[in-house]
Amino acid sequence: MATVTLNNVIKRFGVFEVVHGANIDVKDGEFVVFVGPSGCGKSTLLRMIAGLEDISGGEIAIGGKLVNDVEPADRGIAMVFQSYALYPHMSVEQNLSFGLRMTGNPNADTDRRVKRAAEILRINELMKRRPKQLSGGQRQRVAIGRAIVREPQVFLFDEPLSNLDAELRVQMRVEISRLHKELGTTMIYVTHDQTEAMTLADRIVVMRAGHIEQIGRPLDLYDNPDNQFVAGFVGSPKMNFISGRIVGRDAHGVVVELAGQEKTRVAQPLTGAAPEAGSPKIGSKVMVGVRPEHFGSAGEGDTDLVVRIDVVEHLGGTSFLYARTANGEDVVIQRDAAKVPDVSEITVSIGKSYLFDEKGLRLR
Amino acid sequence: MRYQNATAYRFLAPYLLIFAIFWVWPIIDSFMISFQATRTVPWRFAPTFNWGRLIGDPAFFNALKNTLLILVIQVPVMITLALVMAVLLNSPLLKARGLYRFAFFAPVVVGEVAYSAVFRLMFNLNFGIINKLLNSVGLPSVDWFSNVTPAMALIMIAVTWRWAGYNAIILLAGMQSIPEDVYEAATLDRVSKLKQFFFITLPLLKPVIVFCLVLSIIGTMQLFTEPFLITERGGPGGGTETLGLLLYRQGFRSLNFGYASAVAYTMAGLAIAITLVQLWLTREPK
Repeated sequence: MATVTLNNVIKRFGVFEVVHGANIDVKDGEFVVFVGPSGCGKSTLLRMIAGLEDISGGEIAIGGKLVNDVEPADRGIAMVFQSYALYPHMSVEQNLSFGLRMTGNPNADTDRRVKRAAEILRINELMKRRPKQLSGGQRQRVAIGRAIVREPQVFLFDEPLSNLDAELRVQMRVEISRLHKELGTTMIYVTHDQTEAMTLADRIVVMRAGHIEQIGRPLDLYDNPDNQFVAGFVGSPKMNFISGRIVGRDAHGVVVELAGQEKTRVAQPLTGAAPEAGSPKIGSKVMVGVRPEHFGSAGEGDTDLVVRIDVVEHLGGTSFLYARTANGEDVVIQRDAAKVPDVSEITVSIGKSYLFDEKGLRLR
Repeated sequence: MRYQNATAYRFLAPYLLIFAIFWVWPIIDSFMISFQATRTVPWRFAPTFNWGRLIGDPAFFNALKNTLLILVIQVPVMITLALVMAVLLNSPLLKARGLYRFAFFAPVVVGEVAYSAVFRLMFNLNFGIINKLLNSVGLPSVDWFSNVTPAMALIMIAVTWRWAGYNAIILLAGMQSIPEDVYEAATLDRVSKLKQFFFITLPLLKPVIVFCLVLSIIGTMQLFTEPFLITERGGPGGGTETLGLLLYRQGFRSLNFGYASAVAYTMAGLAIAITLVQLWLTREPK
């Protein structure tokens, strides 16, 4: 087990900088998930920790030891790849033991490690099969097994569940969570799926375009996002954003008028910068963020909003109303299935909301 | 549906007709000719005439021995060389990869006569560059064209020069289809580059290597150009005569079509047999 420290880590491909100074402290035994859209640099960051990509700047330390110039095999890490990267011509047993055999590890120890990994992952009966004779889930188990036999200090997962179908993905997610509890090893996991991030992580690192947007515990990110990107990325369906303008101040914060709906005003308490300091300015444009579950029935909240319903999705217990505001902005509203009216226009109240400035930064 | 099929066949008819006349029929006809005495007028049916001669013909066995010798020595050497070339071409350290790829492949597109003429000049006893190079390191000149062993070596060198790059390009394509992350996984497993080559690249490349071997075996069984042009019709004294050359000599010099057909069928039969044995030896375990 070990800590992983990234200190101002930079990655350039030629003249293009793709990771702009990442600072992350992963604690011993922690499960940290890097999440972000495609091309945000999360896999590159993971590959730099593994040593598969050179570092253009900054420092990476594993277990307190600087590893910038240490060979991948000497970093005490094991990696699980998105495409499994199993050796296709070897049996499961050979796949697990190959690395240890090639490096002259004593046979008895190799056998012990392989047996232990097979028991942890319940793949005993697959040991003689080749990868092509396995299902996607079984292959992923073998890939994880190959990481386990290395008895690493840190596990690295690079989108390990992306190639699996939805049902298997949920199952494997639980397995990986169980594995983390059982082994207690530090794990760093890369995914673009925020549900995976929310369910697996002790802490989440949200990335965009090579920048770290926010680091925090899953519910902290959900309840207290630093900016509009994190607010929109964490949570499913995503947070709704309704444009507005600050039209006044009250004792607790500001009053926002929603665009195209002069009569709809939202009072937004601000605890940070004192309103009297003149920030944010009256008249400045803002975004009001409302999660789908924070829309209540008319009259339940401070502000009522009339929306036109386009589509209703019934998921059983809950339903999602895909609607549009008077200003033509799309909103998704969560409702108990029993409370969905059969009308084309409804009035909803805005409960909890978040305020973001023109740059997308949270106003609080 | 049946009408549509009929229409399709009507459109295919011109091709099928030409295919039948110029492809299928010669195959059948040459097989039948191999059972005829073709040096009498008119030809007469004599089932054991050509095939009987084949079994007892020293010229046939000489050509067979030469062909198999080239096959056994040249093909493995060439494929090994091609593999080395493919590894070099695949190396991320290599600059101007496209240029090398073209250079390795170029011998295939050079005209056979031109390349043979250049080889004859390069290996000339008196003024060839090869003997000059041998002399410069203190070795005596080799008379490549008058002695059997150097002549056979020359044929093998020429064929290897011509086809190694071609096979290297095929092997390179095979290497590039092996996913990069398999090597990355091996690197993390502390497996050295050399071991990665022997334990990952070679096994995964096996189907492509087998394909190259099969192509080379068929090619060598039909070897004709080099012994015909470089060592002047299988010289010295039939020392480099191959089955292809014997066929040509019998069919188009002596106009003994029956015997030439029997030789042709023997060549084809041997190529198929050797290929099948090889495929069986290198089959994937179930």
